[in-house]
Amino acid sequence: MKNIIFKELKELTRDGRFKIAIVISLILLVVATITGINQYQKNNQQYLESAETERKVWETQGEKNPHSAAHYGTYAFKPKFALSLFDYGVTKYTGNSIFLEAHNRHEASFSEATDQTSLARFGTLSINFVLIYLFPLIIILIGYNSYTKEVEHKTLTLLKSQGVHPTKLTLGKWLATFIPVFLLTAIIFLIIGIILSSLENLAFFTWSSLLAIFASYTLYYLIITTITVLISMWSKSSGMSLVSCLIIWIIFSFITPKIATNFANENHPYPSKSEFSTRIAEDRKNGLDGHNPWNKAAKKLEQETLQKYNVDSLSQLPFNYAGYRMQKGEEHEAKIYEKHYNILNEIANNQNNTYKKLSFLSPFFPIRFLSMDIANTSDNLHWKFTKAAEKYRIEKQRFLNNDIKDNSKLGERGYKMSAESFKKLPKFSFTPPTLGEILKDNTQNIFFLSLWFFIPFLGLIITSKKI
Amino acid sequence: MITIKNITKKFNDFIAVNNLSLEVKEGEILCLLGANGAGKSTTINMLLNFIEPSFGSAKINGLDVVKNPIKTKNFLTYIPENLMLYPTLTAIENLDYFCKLSGKNFDKTELKLYLTDAGLQEEAHNNRVKTFSKGMRQKVGIALAIAKESKVLLLDEPTSGLDPKSSNEFMDLLTRMKDDGVAILMATHDLFRAKEVSTHIGIMRSGKLENYSDSSKVSLKELETIYLDIMNFKNVS
Repeated sequence: MKNIIFKELKELTRDGRFKIAIVISLILLVVATITGINQYQKNNQQYLESAETERKVWETQGEKNPHSAAHYGTYAFKPKFALSLFDYGVTKYTGNSIFLEAHNRHEASFSEATDQTSLARFGTLSINFVLIYLFPLIIILIGYNSYTKEVEHKTLTLLKSQGVHPTKLTLGKWLATFIPVFLLTAIIFLIIGIILSSLENLAFFTWSSLLAIFASYTLYYLIITTITVLISMWSKSSGMSLVSCLIIWIIFSFITPKIATNFANENHPYPSKSEFSTRIAEDRKNGLDGHNPWNKAAKKLEQETLQKYNVDSLSQLPFNYAGYRMQKGEEHEAKIYEKHYNILNEIANNQNNTYKKLSFLSPFFPIRFLSMDIANTSDNLHWKFTKAAEKYRIEKQRFLNNDIKDNSKLGERGYKMSAESFKKLPKFSFTPPTLGEILKDNTQNIFFLSLWFFIPFLGLIITSKKI
Repeated sequence: MITIKNITKKFNDFIAVNNLSLEVKEGEILCLLGANGAGKSTTINMLLNFIEPSFGSAKINGLDVVKNPIKTKNFLTYIPENLMLYPTLTAIENLDYFCKLSGKNFDKTELKLYLTDAGLQEEAHNNRVKTFSKGMRQKVGIALAIAKESKVLLLDEPTSGLDPKSSNEFMDLLTRMKDDGVAILMATHDLFRAKEVSTHIGIMRSGKLENYSDSSKVSLKELETIYLDIMNFKNVS
């Protein structure tokens, strides 16, 4: 088998087309790596600076009324994950910071796409593009004629008359198709891993996650290799084989994802922005308003509080009722937001599940979802981030409202929180899920990828004996 | 070495080989003559297990070729009418690859020796095969047979399209291999070469062996008469 692999590779290195393909993809990769790492460093620097500046502004705002500070707000920034180099995922369209203020939950804003002209639609050259689209194409270019060339050059008869085991021959050709791209991928991951690990202030880089992404891509390439060699065995001519392989490549990477998107949107439509805001406003209208002591819900809360502390008037309470009411109102609003965002999250989950269920159409879905999740660039992760930011917002409001409640008097005008106290607010930090948790979440994707590998591989072994 | 017993091959209604039996012992060359479609190639393909016989059995070195498809191939070398090699590899690399597929490993000097033995000029050893003529490729095939120490050589019209000199050289190689005890089965149209090189001659028509004779006991003239009689008989019937 070793001999078959070496002979195939030797033939490959003497093929001009292969040389050109490898040189072009190497150039693309070098360019993509350099720009990717530069971009990453720039973005990461921006993230670190913004987070630091924002905190500084908060800590040095001086004496201020806590509720004014709450309205003034702060930003929560999403970290730039190191592995996003390998898979941009949805980061281009999701925002990277969330404005945190009193009463309102905001969506993430400042996405990369909004900072670019509409030319961004054409996409950028990235490692992610090379890995997901270009490398499968190179596998096809290497393997499409692995069998048909033997038939066309009439070397198959001589080959068959040598008493070589047909399965060994197939496995040899299969490995020879796989090895070039595998080596290239391994080198890229190694180089980028070394560069990344030498960078300072790296956000959440682990070699185990890098290895996990590498393993996922390897599995995807194995699938493409198997299908390519299988098609070469079935085809009557190299031309037919190439066309069939290319059609499959187009179906996998371009057509099925678009069909799935339509399908997911059709079955689980997202509400429009205005629809969403109207529903929230509707719910808020009937609830407690921290600013308005005269609405129905506020009156009710007053009665309950007086009863609970067994006093006759608000001034007799051991704390400032205004701060207490403000916090209760905040909690009520947060609940409404939670309810409506959960509905959105549910729809997003359903859409994702639609993709996952369509994995039998194309191995492209499971590999994309898996690699995005490991790279922390998935929609899933974005939801985790927005939830963490919301949780922090609620905590921050409680921190500020409790200050009013505990340190000021009822009806006191012009109360100011001490400059020092602002520093006591804990910092916002977001930790992505661990690799173990991610893989556990992705068992279905891994299962589908394995199926996509094993079934064609079985076909390969069976067909090999008939050649 | 080569034993074919009552072998028949049907393709739907067409009978390509009809109850054929023959034997080629060590140091014998059997030349199969006959018109196109007489069943010569089909017989060779059945010995290679490329085609499975409908009835009967074919054996190489006492082993049934259908039951031992890989083992039997280790004893034989097959040279088709137009032997093709990998165009981007050199003569040495081609020979090396096919030897290794048969489980035989040689170093470069040994491989060169085999190529020289088969009559391929030294200058061509390191050239890529895409520049080779048919005769040169055929020599690589013979080198393979020598290297593998094949006991059986199966040839399907190896000299068609070769110039007289190459053809002559090729026949010399066959005679040498015969003297080394190789059993050779060759399908050909060339009566003259067949008479010259073979130990036995078989004439086939419509899948049947119509005549089998010892080459030394029949003159070229007689052979031609027998051949023409058999072919003409078909026309009469």
